[in-house]
Amino acid sequence: MPWYFYLALKQLFPTGRRFPFFTAISVVSVALGVALLIVVLGVMGGFAYQIRQTIIQTEGEIQIKARGSIGNYHEVVRRIEAVPGVAGASPYASGMLMVVYQNKPSFPLMRGLDMASIGHVVSLEKFVTAGSLDALDDDAVILSEGLADALGVPIGANIEVYTPLMLARRDSEVILPHTVKVVGVMRFGHQELDKSTIYCTLRLAQELYGLVGDVHGINIRIQPGAKEDEVAGRINAVLPPDMRAFSWMDSFADFLTVLKLEKNMMTFVLLFVVLVAAFLTMSLLLVLVLKKTREIGLLGALGASRRQIALCFCLQGIGVGVVGTAAGLGLGLTVLHFRNDIVRAITRVTGGQELMARFYQFSELPEHIEVRDLVVIVTAALVLSTLAGIIPAVIAARLKPVEALRSE
Amino acid sequence: MSDAIISARGLTKTFLSGDRRIEVLRGVDLEVGAGETVSIRGESGSGKSTLLNLLAGLDTPDAGTLTWVGSADTGAKRRATYLGIVFQSFYLIPELDALQNVLMAARILKGPGAIELARAKELLARVGLAERAHHLPTQLSGGERQRVAVARALMNTPRLILADEPTGNLDEQTGGAIIELLLGLSAETKTTLVLVTHNVAHAAKCSRQLLLRAGQFS
Repeated sequence: MPWYFYLALKQLFPTGRRFPFFTAISVVSVALGVALLIVVLGVMGGFAYQIRQTIIQTEGEIQIKARGSIGNYHEVVRRIEAVPGVAGASPYASGMLMVVYQNKPSFPLMRGLDMASIGHVVSLEKFVTAGSLDALDDDAVILSEGLADALGVPIGANIEVYTPLMLARRDSEVILPHTVKVVGVMRFGHQELDKSTIYCTLRLAQELYGLVGDVHGINIRIQPGAKEDEVAGRINAVLPPDMRAFSWMDSFADFLTVLKLEKNMMTFVLLFVVLVAAFLTMSLLLVLVLKKTREIGLLGALGASRRQIALCFCLQGIGVGVVGTAAGLGLGLTVLHFRNDIVRAITRVTGGQELMARFYQFSELPEHIEVRDLVVIVTAALVLSTLAGIIPAVIAARLKPVEALRSE
Repeated sequence: MSDAIISARGLTKTFLSGDRRIEVLRGVDLEVGAGETVSIRGESGSGKSTLLNLLAGLDTPDAGTLTWVGSADTGAKRRATYLGIVFQSFYLIPELDALQNVLMAARILKGPGAIELARAKELLARVGLAERAHHLPTQLSGGERQRVAVARALMNTPRLILADEPTGNLDEQTGGAIIELLLGLSAETKTTLVLVTHNVAHAAKCSRQLLLRAGQFS
């Protein structure tokens, strides 16, 4: 091992002596900066990832929409399923309804599902918290957890369903609501979906909206590894001109752009924390150079070159960066792992858990850190720490041995 | 005198102190032969340490020439291969134990192998510190620290040892022991020694004694 590497390590982590204050402060400051970046980017990434997962798990990666309703959808589904990269397709109908239970009304979003093909696109079974998806037929519905709670309706109870279509009928006609049985409750963990959604069969949805064999759209699941945009492009090539395939990213383009912008801004702002840590390391290294001036003179007298002396101090900056970044990675990933326990502890004190669910859509704090983010954070921390070591290294190298040895 | 290993001709050095120019060395001539022990005495400010720094290549003269006979290396590398230096203030690296302080000279020259490790242990044993090899400088007395510094100066088998008041921070008895050690090792290894000292008794033990006065040998 070259002497400057050996001495840098010994000065950072001496054996048999008290752990140096300089090392501790520098490592902790870099570690905190790195951990902060990881936690914030992890949670920011988690929001985008969670939204993607929720959309994909409930609607698939791609949706077909038309100007009006889609007729002869069996033929369209057949064509779509022949496109490379498509794993399955399922038609749907959706719209607003009014439901009434014991004179208590609510206005949920209806999702009419084709029970024969929905399993090819999404697996809803895992979201059913009460009742059963198998019990869903043309006279039954499944409610989202929030809707079931708001209406206070138990499994097995009947509710009345009104559609906007009924408003268009003449005044002399008596509006007769559909009576359907609640056979299940679903929970997705997404506030918007869990708040007020009602799931029924496609046939019932078509009847409620007078679609007469048409559908509002088609949900598509792509094969693992396939890219949404590419598959959507291929599907568009086989669709009639009045229909269009949108990837989930197209549908949420504005929202995703805002999220990406926020994430980039947070990265930029939080990098200043690492920059401050690097400045702290630099100032402590400068103090170290002053403190060790006579030793620097001795090294010169023993035959060390200026370049080697510079490397010795530069390596200390790198050493702080490596250890601080490793500690920050560990700390950041640990905080991310226990994020919900930490948030629960904080909200227990501040009482803001419901507020968080209401404003951020998720009942739990999501997390998703990409390898690319980690590479950016680690590279930035190491580069800044290395730069922090350069100025003290240059100052140490420029000391003349004879003057350094004479210094008080 | 046997063949010279270092030769200085007309060395001049001037320092600026405010607006004043202080001529510390005024054309010093010195030739030191192989295996010779030379003491340089002089009052404070007479230029002893300045001369030693010039001989060590740590500083450059304003005028005059300095020849290190038989050294192909230049600059810092020459110091590592040709010289061993002992300072008044020991200058041990506080993070390293006695053995590693001695080995540091070898690390800087080429990196320590098994031979260098064995030599460092042997040198520590020779200076009477075999049992203290793994003690940090703070756990050693002043005399012990200076003995470690002597062992370090000998680590790379130098041709010339320059000792700048090596007893200046030690009591009379310990200082005497260090001088005996330096002279003994110098004789044993046939290494040339240039000793700068205030102490007349210590200076008298060298084979040649020089007195530096007002920047010149008298």
